[in-house]
Amino acid sequence: MLGMADPWIALVWILNIVAMIVCVVYGGLNWNKGGD
Amino acid sequence: MGGGINIPLLAICLLIFLSIITYLTYLGAQQTKSQEDYMVGGRQIPGWIMALSYAATFISTSAIVGFGGAAGVFGFSLMWLSFLNIFVGIFLAFVFLGGPIRGMSSNLGANTLASFLGARYDSKFITWFTGLMIFIFMPAYTGVVLIGGARFVQESLKVDYNIALLFLVILVGLYVSWGGLRGIMYADAFMCSMMILGMVFLLFKTYAVVGGVVAGHQALTDLASKVPESMAAAGHLGWTSMPAGGSPYWWVVVSTIVMGVGIGVLAQPQLTMRFMTVPNKRALNRALVTGGICIFFFTGTAFMVGPLSNVFFHDTTGQIAIAAAGGNTDLIIPTFINAVMPKAYIYLFMITLIAACLTTVLGLIHVQSIAFSRDMLPEWGVKTAKSPLFYSRIGVLIGAAAAVIMAYILPISIIARATAFWFGICAAGILPALLGAIFWRRVTKQAAVWSVALGFGVSIFGFVFLHASESAPFGISKLLFGRDALLPAPWTLIDPLFYSIVIAAIALIAISYFTPQFSKEHINKCFNGEAEQRSALSKGNIKA
Repeated sequence: MLGMADPWIALVWILNIVAMIVCVVYGGLNWNKGGD
Repeated sequence: MGGGINIPLLAICLLIFLSIITYLTYLGAQQTKSQEDYMVGGRQIPGWIMALSYAATFISTSAIVGFGGAAGVFGFSLMWLSFLNIFVGIFLAFVFLGGPIRGMSSNLGANTLASFLGARYDSKFITWFTGLMIFIFMPAYTGVVLIGGARFVQESLKVDYNIALLFLVILVGLYVSWGGLRGIMYADAFMCSMMILGMVFLLFKTYAVVGGVVAGHQALTDLASKVPESMAAAGHLGWTSMPAGGSPYWWVVVSTIVMGVGIGVLAQPQLTMRFMTVPNKRALNRALVTGGICIFFFTGTAFMVGPLSNVFFHDTTGQIAIAAAGGNTDLIIPTFINAVMPKAYIYLFMITLIAACLTTVLGLIHVQSIAFSRDMLPEWGVKTAKSPLFYSRIGVLIGAAAAVIMAYILPISIIARATAFWFGICAAGILPALLGAIFWRRVTKQAAVWSVALGFGVSIFGFVFLHASESAPFGISKLLFGRDALLPAPWTLIDPLFYSIVIAAIALIAISYFTPQFSKEHINKCFNGEAEQRSALSKGNIKA
């Protein structure tokens, strides 16, 4: 998968990108929350 | 590095770089009037600046060059570490730890991690003991980061190593004592953006060189037969596979690197104290966007470029990366960059690496200076004739001098283990007490005192007397008992972080059930200080 020999490595490659996207989306959805 | 580099041109680039961070430090200094400004930036730092500062402090030169080179040897399996860095070090830390640490430290008026824990647990011991641990053991870690930066400056600018090291440490000492945390964080934000620029270019160029994502990975997969026999015997199954389960390589990847650095980051005082600098939870939410992107491009890039460099080196020289770098893992990334990147980029990469070193050392020296002026002197009842800012600057001087001394007197075998030691004792000594402080209202003072003392005590004992990687080079066990480690395997192999953090956590939980709880007033002050005052104020407004 993705050219990797081990599916666990393909998974962790994707997880890195997913983790970054989760940070961006969570921050974006809560952009104006928590001001007080 | 340095093939065909125009040294005068690089020096001019560096001068421009230094004048920008000097100006930003000056801006911070203009706004630093009180000890609270110096320690936590007056709690008014915007979220995006906090995130850039957090990310840049998080990542040192060795994280890019050292870990990137290690990934060139071990392969993509190290991406579990960059995943943990993003998910634990940024997402969980900002969402679940940042808010409570910010709110509670503000309620308690605490400006350092140690004084925050001390105020939450109503214990002077926790404040001065944690401050003392930071003050004694941090210089070895600071020394390691400085050595990484100085070696790099020596190589790239062709200046004497001693001059490079002293130049870096004097620069940091001046900036910290002059600009306080505001100055540091403004300068960090600029340096972090330079680092982002450098790493984004590197990542995209690398994938372009190896023929794209899937083709590049496939080419690396096809190289599995090129793994040297000695590495294959230790469990290396190729650069796109996990090491063989239970093999020595598997243990290295899973235990020390992933757990030690992945978990240890949550208890780093120079990082957790940055949550105290923002005005509200909203700033933390916004910081998450910048922080996630930064750490992905810092650690993710290093861990993708390292393995893929094998494809490039094999195609061009017939060798794998570690052979092309002459057997030195630290040279894999610089050799690769010299070979594939345009010349102009090499200047940017040098700025990137110097920024990575400076931002981390600034954060460490700052924490050490406030450990001295806030956590130790006042708690020991030392009569202070001058302002706290004066003693913070004395702390900078001591911290910087100690880091230089460590960089000179520690042998290379100990230097190599200083990071694991520092991350390990912080995780065991601080993390259980910190999590208890912000999530568990029933936790007691006695439990926290024992947890902190046992966490630091057991982990230091483990590193000095049991774990062979540190106990052998430290030599204390050999000196006292005539052998490198007191117990046989597996104790010589298990990172002391594992058992010491478990002991500290059990102590925190078990002792809490046998000792008196805090009063409701104290718990209310810790958890609801601001909310209480606000509701009282709003009631007052209604009456008016």
